[in-house]
Amino acid sequence: MIYRILLVCGALLTGLLFIYSVAERSPRADFTYVNPSGIHTLDPARMSWLQDFRIALNLWEGLTVSHPETTRPVAGAAMLPPRVTDDGLTHTFSIRRDARWSNGDPVNARDFVRGWRRAMEPGTAADYLFLFTDHIAGAAEYVEWRLERVALLTGLLRLSQGWAIDAAQARAVAAHPPVGRILPAAGVPDARAATADATFDRLAKQLGELEVDWRAVHERTLRQHAAQMDDRFSAVGVRAIDGRTLAVELKRPCPYFLDLTAFPTFLPCHESVELLRETSRGVPLTAEGLVVYDPQWTKPDCRRQGYAGLVTNGPFRMASWRFKRRARLEVNPYYREALRIACRTVDMVVFEHPSSALMAYEAGDVDFLPGIDVPYDHEIARLARTGKRPDFRFCNALATFYFNFNCVSDAVLDRVNPFVDARVRKAFALAMDREAIVAEVLQRGDRVARSLVPRGAIEGYDPPEGVVRDVTRAARLLADSGHAGGADIPPVDLLCLPSDQRVCQAAAATWEQTLGVRVDIRFKESKTFAHDKANLQYMIARGNWFGDYADPTTFLDCLVTGNGNNDSGYSNPRYDALVAQARDCREPPRRLRLLAQAEKIIVEEDLPLLTVLHYSIPIAVKPYVKGLHANPRLRFSFKDLRVER
Amino acid sequence: MIVLVVRRCVLGVVTIFCVYALTFVMAISIPGNPLRQGPRNIPAEAERALRIRYNMDNNWLYFTGFVAGLARLDFGPTFTYNDWTCNQIIADALPVSVMIGLSAILIAVVAGVPAGVFGAVGRNGWFDVTTGALVLLGVSLPAFVTGSFLLIVFAMYLKVAPVGGWGTLAHLPLPALTLALPFTAYVARLTRVAMLDVLGSDFIRTALAKGLAPRRVIWDHALRVAFLPILSFLGPACAQAMTGSFVVEKVYGVPGIGQHFVNAALNLDAGLVMSTVLVFAVLLVAMNVVIDVLYAWFDPRIKDAL
Repeated sequence: MIYRILLVCGALLTGLLFIYSVAERSPRADFTYVNPSGIHTLDPARMSWLQDFRIALNLWEGLTVSHPETTRPVAGAAMLPPRVTDDGLTHTFSIRRDARWSNGDPVNARDFVRGWRRAMEPGTAADYLFLFTDHIAGAAEYVEWRLERVALLTGLLRLSQGWAIDAAQARAVAAHPPVGRILPAAGVPDARAATADATFDRLAKQLGELEVDWRAVHERTLRQHAAQMDDRFSAVGVRAIDGRTLAVELKRPCPYFLDLTAFPTFLPCHESVELLRETSRGVPLTAEGLVVYDPQWTKPDCRRQGYAGLVTNGPFRMASWRFKRRARLEVNPYYREALRIACRTVDMVVFEHPSSALMAYEAGDVDFLPGIDVPYDHEIARLARTGKRPDFRFCNALATFYFNFNCVSDAVLDRVNPFVDARVRKAFALAMDREAIVAEVLQRGDRVARSLVPRGAIEGYDPPEGVVRDVTRAARLLADSGHAGGADIPPVDLLCLPSDQRVCQAAAATWEQTLGVRVDIRFKESKTFAHDKANLQYMIARGNWFGDYADPTTFLDCLVTGNGNNDSGYSNPRYDALVAQARDCREPPRRLRLLAQAEKIIVEEDLPLLTVLHYSIPIAVKPYVKGLHANPRLRFSFKDLRVER
Repeated sequence: MIVLVVRRCVLGVVTIFCVYALTFVMAISIPGNPLRQGPRNIPAEAERALRIRYNMDNNWLYFTGFVAGLARLDFGPTFTYNDWTCNQIIADALPVSVMIGLSAILIAVVAGVPAGVFGAVGRNGWFDVTTGALVLLGVSLPAFVTGSFLLIVFAMYLKVAPVGGWGTLAHLPLPALTLALPFTAYVARLTRVAMLDVLGSDFIRTALAKGLAPRRVIWDHALRVAFLPILSFLGPACAQAMTGSFVVEKVYGVPGIGQHFVNAALNLDAGLVMSTVLVFAVLLVAMNVVIDVLYAWFDPRIKDAL
């Protein structure tokens, strides 16, 4: 009997050893750091996670780069300063002669045009599309035109497949001249002038019943569209004048434009990526009219259709990348300062469990933790503040944690939403004890936030004072709004993420004690949380914002009416006007004053959100690692690192 | 025998397809926006383009796309990790989980069966009581406790194992041991109960009365019968162990498939959810077929009955 069991076990063991024999092994890198969640994407146009920015900015180099310590823009692939026309609208950048891709090719101005155009294409689906449509002349119009064409081509494709189309597609198909011409003849009323979606729904049905060779119409339209694209793009304000000169035309003067060009969405893209562009019917577009590249282009070992793997132009290149395990970076031998870079190889390892990451750091397996997100982070803070662990440092992040108030929905979860009244919002803000949350509840050393933009974070910008805790005034305001002592306020719905449990419970307790209301905390995991928040299915929700560039608008734009990240549904024409006025203002000091006035409306009058704290993010750097600077953007450059083990 | 295997396989395929279709329905009906991946709200324009690209504007096209992909064994893109396909993710993660899972099952059998046999033979003796207590501990301690404990002892203090990660044989023992503990405890308990049952039966008494060596009677005659319930437990257990454990992978930073199983569902990543569910379903069905075959091999009475 036992020998049979042993036989089975032995067979299993052999199998195990076989699997083991194909596992990888590599020597330790000069520098190893932890990326808690792994890389979400290495496509600079698509990325929106800080972890991804961090690695991308070591692999690629924009026209400018952020200084590792001050985060001010310094010269990158282009020489500074660019030539700027008197109206401040046109920037002409000269690409450095010695800027090189990791395969030795010189960096070309067209590589920037390619990278930026990719980010604008609907098929790329960039989260930061607005950086182009808000700033670059003609970009918004180009994107709109492309989207309309994609709707048309998808409509024609679905009709050719025999599928029903939706109202937006019907609208685009009806407006397409060749189709528009045949509609009256086929007995379909001309619906181009109509606007109601119901009209287009009816039209969509009628189109489906027409005896038309939709396949031919689709193919013809696809070809025509592909032929028009370059011509249309020439109206967008980014063009390569020659191989080394890039001209950028802005919509309006932008004092922080050089900061934007250091942002990942503005990185260049090597021409070899074109080898992986999807085609349909001989046209470099998908059948839906989208510009799509094989997502494998970001892999260092992708070899197909003549593609030779990822090519980057930064100080490092990607040597290998195993999903959610490890990414190995090595010095880009063609980088202009390649010989000066002391740290020749960098490993990014993945530890999803923060405590395990800390243990790996303590055991010496990793050299750097760009965040210590453990449940005992107050203990980490204490060790750092008392000087017991000088290797634990803090980054005073350009970031704010706040509570959003739902300013628009009359009812939430079948309960009356009292927060449509600004007085109620202000009462809740006045009752909030930020100092207690920061000093007693969290004890992480975060900074109390009375403004949305962190004080001192942006040069020349003086944020408003905000509201200070005043329980009597809070009670009075609540009484003024008809809810004296919390009367008639239904249980307040507080939408939270489990990670912010302590703050949310503390805030709820404060409100319950001082205002006499009942607060029901509703924990949701991140996706459903984001869904509920974006759809305004909450009364109060936790929120945070990490600034992307050194200008107050990186925070303040989110509260402009209709902004995609305006999760409070807030709208105040006076605020919008001030932000718009600042946008068009040519004098930097006055511009910042206008923005401060706008912010004052947010944090002192209307309170669509209640700022609580500005994060101080703890990081751990081994003492033998020199040249790594704690900075407010939490982006770390490995180019200047020295590891003196 | 062959008829049995073929019949089981056909039934398995039908089961798997039903699971696949059901998973699709559930995956698309969970509330939330799967296309929002980053910390920023996805622009409306971008979302529209992505919905078109993935056929999400037409559920039937969306589903048939999955089924057509299944026929080609191509599970398509993921929403959460744009740069990787579901196939790449599974190809990367499954071997890791299979290795840890099989090691865990090995440990469970090698340690659990003898513990159960000795416990049954020396019933209520010191060994039985000790293993009983250990079994209780193994079943009740959650993996994040045992995992963290083993890490602290072996990686931090004794420094005989790396803290986590994957790539060398040294990375295997701790996760395998953590994963094995509950399985070992269960196998030991199961063996003990089955052995107690068998040891009281007539054929054992006869064998002992005929003067056969007790060792032979216990290990050969009794265990052969007592092993059957363990075998039927091992089938689903193998599938479960090999599809990874979210907790063990998280504690040890192991790039296995268990984390994708959970994360994909949380991220509403339909493609990855469907492919991981499929992997689990296929493993479960396959393991059950294997166990059926082994059953017949271990016990000729069953083969005759078939």
